[in-house]
Amino acid sequence: MFAIVRTRREIGLVLACLILWPLAVPAQGAFEDDENCLMCHKYPKMGRVTDDGVFRSYYVMPHVFSRTVHRNVPCRDCHSYIKELPHRPVKVGVQCDSECHSIKNPATGKRFSHKPIYAKYIRSVHGRPKNARGPDRDKPYCVTCHTNPIYNPQEKQLPEHIVKRCVVCHEDRAFVENWYKHTSRRIREVKRDSRQIVQLCANCHGDQRLVQRHLKAARLEGRELGRKYPYAVESYLESFHGKVTHYGFKKAANCVDCHVDQDDYYLNVHFIRPSRDPVSPVSPERKLQTCRRCHKYADENYARLDPHPTSDIQDNPFRHYAEVIYGWVGDIVLVMLIGMALMETIGRWRDGVIWQIRKGSSWWRKSKRDRDRVI
Amino acid sequence: MKLSDEARRVLDRTMAYNRVSPEAQAEIERVIAAMPQDRVLLYKNVVSNPIGDLPRYSVHICIQHMLTFVTFLTLAFTGLPIAFFEHSWAAPLNALVGGVDVSRVIHRTLASVMIFSMIYHVFTIVGGTVQKLMNGTFDLQRTILPVWKDVRDFQADFRYFFELADQRPEMDKFMYKQKIHYFAAAFGNLVMVISGSSFLFPEFWAAVLPAGVAANFQEMMRLSHPHEALLALFVIAYWHWYNVHLAPGRFPMQWTFLTGKITREHQMEEHFLEYLRNLVEIPEEREKLMDMLLARELVAIPEGEALAEPEPVRD
Repeated sequence: MFAIVRTRREIGLVLACLILWPLAVPAQGAFEDDENCLMCHKYPKMGRVTDDGVFRSYYVMPHVFSRTVHRNVPCRDCHSYIKELPHRPVKVGVQCDSECHSIKNPATGKRFSHKPIYAKYIRSVHGRPKNARGPDRDKPYCVTCHTNPIYNPQEKQLPEHIVKRCVVCHEDRAFVENWYKHTSRRIREVKRDSRQIVQLCANCHGDQRLVQRHLKAARLEGRELGRKYPYAVESYLESFHGKVTHYGFKKAANCVDCHVDQDDYYLNVHFIRPSRDPVSPVSPERKLQTCRRCHKYADENYARLDPHPTSDIQDNPFRHYAEVIYGWVGDIVLVMLIGMALMETIGRWRDGVIWQIRKGSSWWRKSKRDRDRVI
Repeated sequence: MKLSDEARRVLDRTMAYNRVSPEAQAEIERVIAAMPQDRVLLYKNVVSNPIGDLPRYSVHICIQHMLTFVTFLTLAFTGLPIAFFEHSWAAPLNALVGGVDVSRVIHRTLASVMIFSMIYHVFTIVGGTVQKLMNGTFDLQRTILPVWKDVRDFQADFRYFFELADQRPEMDKFMYKQKIHYFAAAFGNLVMVISGSSFLFPEFWAAVLPAGVAANFQEMMRLSHPHEALLALFVIAYWHWYNVHLAPGRFPMQWTFLTGKITREHQMEEHFLEYLRNLVEIPEEREKLMDMLLARELVAIPEGEALAEPEPVRD
């Protein structure tokens, strides 16, 4: 039975490829597609609707993919479960700790892999298996943050004067271009800026439905969550760091500046731990040391200042009531001042005042009290 | 006019401070006697120059007002879009003042200027007071310091506004409204300086405060800086600008902050006691007032005396 269905699916796919052929986007500067995956995946409409009603696109944009960091990796190095074409439905998908068969690490001679980073990530508070179920499904997998970035998106064309110079000795222009892209991306800082980092974290931590889901799950399971977990993003934005970062200021601390151990940043950014873990840079044990990275005169008292201030009564009753009092005082003062001004205007107006001094006086109107300027 | 006990005390004290000659004293008494008993008729009938007739502020106070005026508004425009970034007006305003990289430099620089202005003001006030004390001419009632009379003036003024009295009270150089405003501004400035310094030097405040207080202090300062700024802006926009621009008789503006002078009718209406001092200190004012009263036939005629021949009005 399965074989029949499979055969029908295969026939359907091949037919679909043939029908959609005229719609295919021309493969400008395409990567070397030795496995002929683009035969089907070059069609923009290729995809399916999942059981959750979400459209999943399987379209590979050849002209874009050819400029990404993975452009030299053959598809089946990552999609290793594909044994034949048309391939079977994908059940697990690409796991980022797999080893490349084709690319070798030039430093070690071993097959290239993201395993060292993955090993850190899986032990972090965000770590989860590829196809996690339940609350873990909300956690970010590698591709949540890493979207196979394009080499220097701002650099549409390579600088010709540099390429020409390199080609003199290295002869092969394709090699030079690849090498230039590879190195220039790493030499030029392409890390997200502070605002983008906050936005990235806020995608999940600022999603109140997700946050509430996790609070509920933690309550049911008797798990502990951080005190600031319910208001991580809004409280950061309420802080001075958050307010200036919001406007693109680069020197104020963003999320990873405090929550990531900076000793080996590019590795440790994948190893964010909850603040209750002594390993975390924001744990009570290490918080002062983290503050001192920027505030070098910080002391124990300083480390007690709240970098995520909120006026939520559960989190900070002092601030909550202070804000309520401030609000009342402000409203009362305004009402009283406007009231005073109004009374004064009415009282003097009744006595014959005009708005502007004219001809040496502002008392030209007739008074209701029968005592007017002698004209 | 028969002066009230309060006004009489002020007049006698001022004449004593100024060592007025018997002739001048007699002249002052004559002018005061000629003033109509109804003060409303007095200030309604004088001639005023819109840019001011009588001295009120020294050049130092005018400079300090200018410094405060410029720094306050610029500080508000550079600070508020950062504090209230989530509002629709914040991003355009922040862009208008050069973006956060520029506006934070402007904000801190002008904060220093504002602090300088505060110190300058304190020196002016203290210096002036010391000088008056040394000359033996210090008059507490003439200062901005609140006295019990202000409460009575407040009550009496509102009785007039509600038509329960036919005269405004005899108020001094600084009336209750100006004293409220002055101390609100002084308190606000202090709050802004302390809270601003807690953003700029958080380590310092954490180090000098006890452990149990440091965190709550910082929270209070975080709340106070934007709230106080907003409150000050509303007070300025709704009240101060009303008083000096929009109040009847003041439109389009009182020029006092530039010229240091107040109009005659305003001085008589809201600062009558200070006007009495002006009559003592400025002989020409006595002449001008007498001319105006004669020209309008408003001279009060004491019983048994005939009215003198009116002289032409000089201005």
